[in-house]
Amino acid sequence: MKIVVCVKQVAVLGDEVEFTADARDVDPDYLDFALNEWDSYATEEALRIREGLGGEGDEVVVVSVGDEQVENAMRRCLAMGADRAIRVDYARSADPITVARLLAPIAERESPDLVFCGVQSSDGVQAATGTALAELLGLPRVAVVTRIEWDPSAGRATVRRELEGGLIDLTEVDTPALLTIQTGINQPRYANLRAIKQAEQKEIEVVSPAEQGEPAYRVRRMFAPSKGEGAEILAGGPADIARRIREIVEERLK
Amino acid sequence: MARDPKYDILFEPIQLGPKTMKNRFYQIPHCNGFGSEKPLSQAYFRALKAEGGYGACCTEYCSISPESDDTHRVSARLWDDDDIKNLSVMCDMLHEHGALAAAELWYGGPHAPCMESRCVPRGPSQIPSDFEYLTYPKEMDKDDIRQVQQLYVDAAKRAREAGFDIVYVYGSHSYLPQQFLTPYYNKRTDEYGGSFENRARFWRETIEQVREAVGDDTAIAVRMSTDMFMGDVGTQLERDCLPFVELVDDIVDVWDINVSGISEWGEDATPSRFYPSGRMLPWQEAVKKVSKKPVLGVGRFTSPDLMIEAINGGKLDIIATCRPSISDPWLPRKIDEGRLDDIRECIGCNICISRWEIGGPPLICTQNATAGEEYRRGWHPEKFDPAENADNDVLVVGAGPAGMECAMILGKRGMRRVHLVEAEEDMGGIMRWIPQLPGLGEWARVVNYRKIQIDKLRNVEFVPGTTLDANGVKEYGAEIVVIATGAYWATDGLNGCTHDTIPGADAAQPWCLTPEQIMRDGKEVPGNSVVIVDNDGYFMGVSLAEKLASEGKKVTLMTHLGNIAPYMHFTLEAPNQHRKLHKLGVDIIPYHIPSRIEQGSVTATHVYDEEGHEQTWEADAVVLVTQRRSDEALYRELKDRVGFDVLGEEGITGCYRIGDCEAPRLIADCVFSGHRLAREIDSENPEVPKPFIRERRVIERELALA
Amino acid sequence: MKGTLIVAEHLRGELRELTRELVTAAQQLGGPVTVAVIAADPSEFDVGFQGVDEIVNVPLGRQEFENDVYQVALEALIADREPHAVLLGFTVNSMGYGPAVAAKLGLGFASDVHGLALEAGAVIATRSFYGGKVDAELEFRADRAVVLLVRPTAFAPAADGGKASATEFAIELPSARARHLEFEDAAAGDVDITTADFLLSVGRGIGDKEAIPQFEQLADKLGAVLSVSRPLVDAGWMPNARQVGQSGKTVKPKVYLALGISGAVQHLAGMKTSGTIIAVNTDPEAAIFNVAHFGAVADLFDVAAELEKLP
Repeated sequence: MKIVVCVKQVAVLGDEVEFTADARDVDPDYLDFALNEWDSYATEEALRIREGLGGEGDEVVVVSVGDEQVENAMRRCLAMGADRAIRVDYARSADPITVARLLAPIAERESPDLVFCGVQSSDGVQAATGTALAELLGLPRVAVVTRIEWDPSAGRATVRRELEGGLIDLTEVDTPALLTIQTGINQPRYANLRAIKQAEQKEIEVVSPAEQGEPAYRVRRMFAPSKGEGAEILAGGPADIARRIREIVEERLK
Repeated sequence: MARDPKYDILFEPIQLGPKTMKNRFYQIPHCNGFGSEKPLSQAYFRALKAEGGYGACCTEYCSISPESDDTHRVSARLWDDDDIKNLSVMCDMLHEHGALAAAELWYGGPHAPCMESRCVPRGPSQIPSDFEYLTYPKEMDKDDIRQVQQLYVDAAKRAREAGFDIVYVYGSHSYLPQQFLTPYYNKRTDEYGGSFENRARFWRETIEQVREAVGDDTAIAVRMSTDMFMGDVGTQLERDCLPFVELVDDIVDVWDINVSGISEWGEDATPSRFYPSGRMLPWQEAVKKVSKKPVLGVGRFTSPDLMIEAINGGKLDIIATCRPSISDPWLPRKIDEGRLDDIRECIGCNICISRWEIGGPPLICTQNATAGEEYRRGWHPEKFDPAENADNDVLVVGAGPAGMECAMILGKRGMRRVHLVEAEEDMGGIMRWIPQLPGLGEWARVVNYRKIQIDKLRNVEFVPGTTLDANGVKEYGAEIVVIATGAYWATDGLNGCTHDTIPGADAAQPWCLTPEQIMRDGKEVPGNSVVIVDNDGYFMGVSLAEKLASEGKKVTLMTHLGNIAPYMHFTLEAPNQHRKLHKLGVDIIPYHIPSRIEQGSVTATHVYDEEGHEQTWEADAVVLVTQRRSDEALYRELKDRVGFDVLGEEGITGCYRIGDCEAPRLIADCVFSGHRLAREIDSENPEVPKPFIRERRVIERELALA
Repeated sequence: MKGTLIVAEHLRGELRELTRELVTAAQQLGGPVTVAVIAADPSEFDVGFQGVDEIVNVPLGRQEFENDVYQVALEALIADREPHAVLLGFTVNSMGYGPAVAAKLGLGFASDVHGLALEAGAVIATRSFYGGKVDAELEFRADRAVVLLVRPTAFAPAADGGKASATEFAIELPSARARHLEFEDAAAGDVDITTADFLLSVGRGIGDKEAIPQFEQLADKLGAVLSVSRPLVDAGWMPNARQVGQSGKTVKPKVYLALGISGAVQHLAGMKTSGTIIAVNTDPEAAIFNVAHFGAVADLFDVAAELEKLP
């Protein structure tokens, strides 16, 4: 049994920002990096499934796209207990479709029983790589999964898909499949220092990127969002204010 | 990061007489235990605030004569030329950072016991101090008045020579000039007593004389209490204070305004338990309305938003701080740099003040472990040397005050990886539930500050919900292990009075409880009558009494001491706490120790009753606040059962313990304990604190070997 | 002229409001606007809004969403109608098929789009990057269509009263590899304020622990989850799980209604990217008004009492 988990090292921007000379990206000096929160849940879920099945030779393999820097995030997954890590060497920031095209050959090569992606990355928030990858792999997919009950021998899984407002769509999916994993599906384990040190020593396989085709978009200009005019003042007495609040809430929650 | 423009007003300069202060941040006169006789400790302590952006820093109360000797408490002194030399160091260091230096010239009168100088203090009338025992002043005749005024003038000149930019004629806290103004102290029938004009005469004349002596190049400050809350006999705002401001406004360069007398000066230095920040603003505003000069004052201001509200609202021109400057000497700088979440906020516990009240020790601070250590240990709260053994991973077990502080400082010193492992889901240890006691909400800032800092440190990871046994520690993979597992309240009544347990005391019973069982574990307090056995001496017993009485229980608070919670006298919390307990109908039984506890009752004897007559109190529930015990089980297992040599084989080169699990102590000392270990983690033997500098005179001589 | 194709979104027999928003968004791009309804009985949903030029009903065996079905239907519609742009909502459903269509057909793609423009015949989309802290303008290949997932509430909903007529578009029902079984409503239980759509947040202004039940009640009535600022957790009035702020949780609900919260930096850090922020505070200078979209200088108890009274 093998589960491939696609992970991303996300960029974290503080309160200050400067842009590159061509104004198409943020100056990397202002960026901090971390493992995407969704991906630690995805890795944990894969580890739990592996532990639940308890077979010999079962593997959790993490794959990521990026330069050497992203190996930090991958080593966190190795420290949690992932067996192998593969990095597609690619130095530029990429749109989700391009990332999917870069991940596809590796995922294909591994012939996994399940592929996990996080629902979205905290920096890009596109929520697209997983579904695009599933398409390229020709796999059935379910996005935004909060619970998995997998019967490998039956070739299908029953999953909970979390819709807006917390409504759950109980879904049956043929496996092998790709699932995008939502936060809160489990409690990701912490790695102790021993595991972290061992992960440091592990070899990460590096592969060259495949043909990516045309990117899904091109950033023309990146900029700080305008501050806006400030709050629109709700006038009148408490009764008017309450009424107006109710109106706004109803409007926004539709 | 940039300063938020709405705070710009705080950084505007302001004129104080002949001097310009570069911004609106003023460190008000406050004690630190260093005085003039630990001059470098004094200078480094004050200079740190100037480095942190304060526009002016003051000495503590600065005695102008041996007649004004507050021993056992430590004041600064300007008695002679050598004192000038010593205090001049402080002035130079402040000036280096562009801050003004101020000397709070002080004559205590009847409040100064003169236990070192053996001089006799002088006062307006001969009535013993309401603050000290056995201290009588000499009743001043006209010659005495002239002479004491001359003492002020001479001291002001010494202050100027030392380099001070501002000198005070200090009256607040019921010191001499204010004693003349106040009927409670002044029963005189000559021209220095009686009418307002007479009562104001001494102070006015003294200000005039000091101004004449040094006023052309030194700013004159007056610190006045606007209301002593003593009714007609005390100073009152409308009757005494505002008229005085109007009377002398022309000859004063800056007003320092507060409230209260000396015996309950916790109404000025307000504990957070009873008062929010900015408590004195109404009085400060009243003075600002009648004065044409700058007005400053304190109010435990930690929030820059409250500060600008005070200035923009016309209540203060200058924001003065004492305790917030102790917990974070770099407060102004952090506001300037837009680093508001780096501000280490004062929690209003008054542990700093308690050290002065006790008399003698240097100050300490719950939030800032470096307070008082600036010179003698060379600690700077914002600067950390990289650890020489930074190439090591550290496991800290327990995220209470000691563990959090240790992990944070280790992180700031660049240790390769620090894992702060905690059994609960959240940081804080005992500080998760202590702030939930009545009035202690602001104490949670101890946790909040460290949570934010640890979150920012890339090399420190918080691992919650994880309990480690000795094996788990051994296998964890760290090279350095720090145990910070805290302490627990004794479940068997073990206490410091009898040095024995209390027969029948057993917190496993439903009717017998310890503080953490109630606050952390939610154990129900059965029935209606509760007896709290308090041998602790600080806040736990009275806080639980307040909480349970507020919930409708009939509470009896029993202590073997003569006074309940005596340490709270030192933190200035005692008067209001007693008022609260009295209002809630809590019975206080001093001088009693239980001889046995049974379901439904507590039987006790009077500690001075040699015949040991017993008395019984009804008790549906008994709360044991007798003493704490270190939770050292994990440490003992590692040291005694596993052995440090075995740990060494796993690569663990050091196993230390900090905080309550070593010995129960004040929260401030837990934080200190974690801080010290982290600062000295690369010393030869981190377990033993390195020697600190003692400012003392050493006689150089050859010692003959025996 | 090339037009815009919108796929209507519906759930449990109700058309989602954001379908109307997509129609407004489409107006930015010019050209005819086509709305496709995919369901067992598409006519159940009225999408004849102002601004809609054409309605296409795609009847399929299921009433509820399945991603393979929607993917096949959309691909067929794209082949047939050759739109310039395809607008979907940025929703859980669309995440399940929108990117797949773009990947399969080699189309342009972007999600969480909150701004749209047409420049010299080319689509320009605006979205945020780096966790919402910066914005960027995106351009796409001119010779291919673009699939855009549009952020809900970014555009105003189109009004009723359009004149479009509906046609049917039949496709063969594909076998769904992921099949809807049934719905389960969200379980009550441990509150996770980070997943709530609507947070009613209270701060020190409520004064006393005793006031909490009143606000729990109000939250219930409004359909909100109650959250708090740090001082209330410090004092032990509410558990840490309810705390919004740097030492609590970061939230991004659709609506954040703050009563009596002044807006300390650490609190703002935890909620300032919320969809719509409404703040009520007696202090007109309160920092929360800097991040709020709507503000009222009023007593929170007065406003709360009035909110209680509303039917």
